[in-house]
Amino acid sequence: MLAAYKTSIVLLTGLLLLYAFQGYYPEFMPFFSEAFLPLIAGAAVISSGFSLEKYWRRAKERFSVVWLFFTVGLFMWFVGETIWAGYALILSVEIPYPSVADVFRLSGYVPFFVALYLYVRTFGSALSRKTLAISSTITAVSVILVSAALIAPTTQAETELVTMIVDLAYPVLDLVLLSVSALGLLVFLKGDLGKSWALISAGILLNVFGDVLFSYTVSRGTYYAGHPVDLLFDFAYVFFLLAFYVHVKEL
Amino acid sequence: MRQALIEAVDEGLLTLGESGREAVYFHLKNTYFLKKEDFPDRPQAFDEALRKIFGVGAEVIERSVVKKLYSKLEIDFIEKKNYGFANYISDAARVANK
Repeated sequence: MLAAYKTSIVLLTGLLLLYAFQGYYPEFMPFFSEAFLPLIAGAAVISSGFSLEKYWRRAKERFSVVWLFFTVGLFMWFVGETIWAGYALILSVEIPYPSVADVFRLSGYVPFFVALYLYVRTFGSALSRKTLAISSTITAVSVILVSAALIAPTTQAETELVTMIVDLAYPVLDLVLLSVSALGLLVFLKGDLGKSWALISAGILLNVFGDVLFSYTVSRGTYYAGHPVDLLFDFAYVFFLLAFYVHVKEL
Repeated sequence: MRQALIEAVDEGLLTLGESGREAVYFHLKNTYFLKKEDFPDRPQAFDEALRKIFGVGAEVIERSVVKKLYSKLEIDFIEKKNYGFANYISDAARVANK
């Protein structure tokens, strides 16, 4: 297991350095950032697939369903990333936004949410009502703050309503996922499974920051392929990949 | 009592489904050197191992095990605050041996 952590640290450090010194190879970064996301998302799907292979018994069993939904959710995100990369690298066209890639990415939130919810619900009675109330309040406040932070720049940029909705949908859906994964983290924090839940929560948190910054930079017209914000999405997938690997190793 | 407890653990762990139960048994045996047959003699070790895996989530599994055990022994289950798993088991053993 230590080897997996070490490999991940090397990968994350390598990515960080690659983005930090992109001034030296400006033509390579757009290609890399478009091509790496589907690769790392695919690796996360494979990691989740191994978990599914281990835990799957039948469709009526909750634990089996949890892993099926995790894998389906990640697979839809992978398809979204692949379509996005296809626009840029194969069709070489300006990527429409929103596009079919966003349909898959946004749809992926549903199975991912169901997986988190079913898992946490199994152990939900271990959480006090007070904890649940605090968690719900923090989520509601975060959703309001993120929405408020994003509505102003997107309306100023005179974006279309659909674009504005998609811009807001990503971070809001991330926060919904985060609210459930945080509960899972609270349940398992002191146990071996806490590592896996910490990694899942960290991955979702990175997506929250990534999606907020992506929407912000797009609305300001400062986003470009290879923008450091892409690093957050890369990191998030590495965290998901590791989370599912750790889960299989710990249980 | 021994057999009832082993069956109760078996059924209680089904909270996680069959695959989850198998994974827990595997983990208990390989990491904590606890076999199914050891649970009646070492409920405290079982409790600690579950907590090391699931954190406070272990309480959900343990509650389920205790409820199954009490039902098998036809004892009324009354939940008590901060009452450990091993205490519930020793209470059940006392009533069963009467």
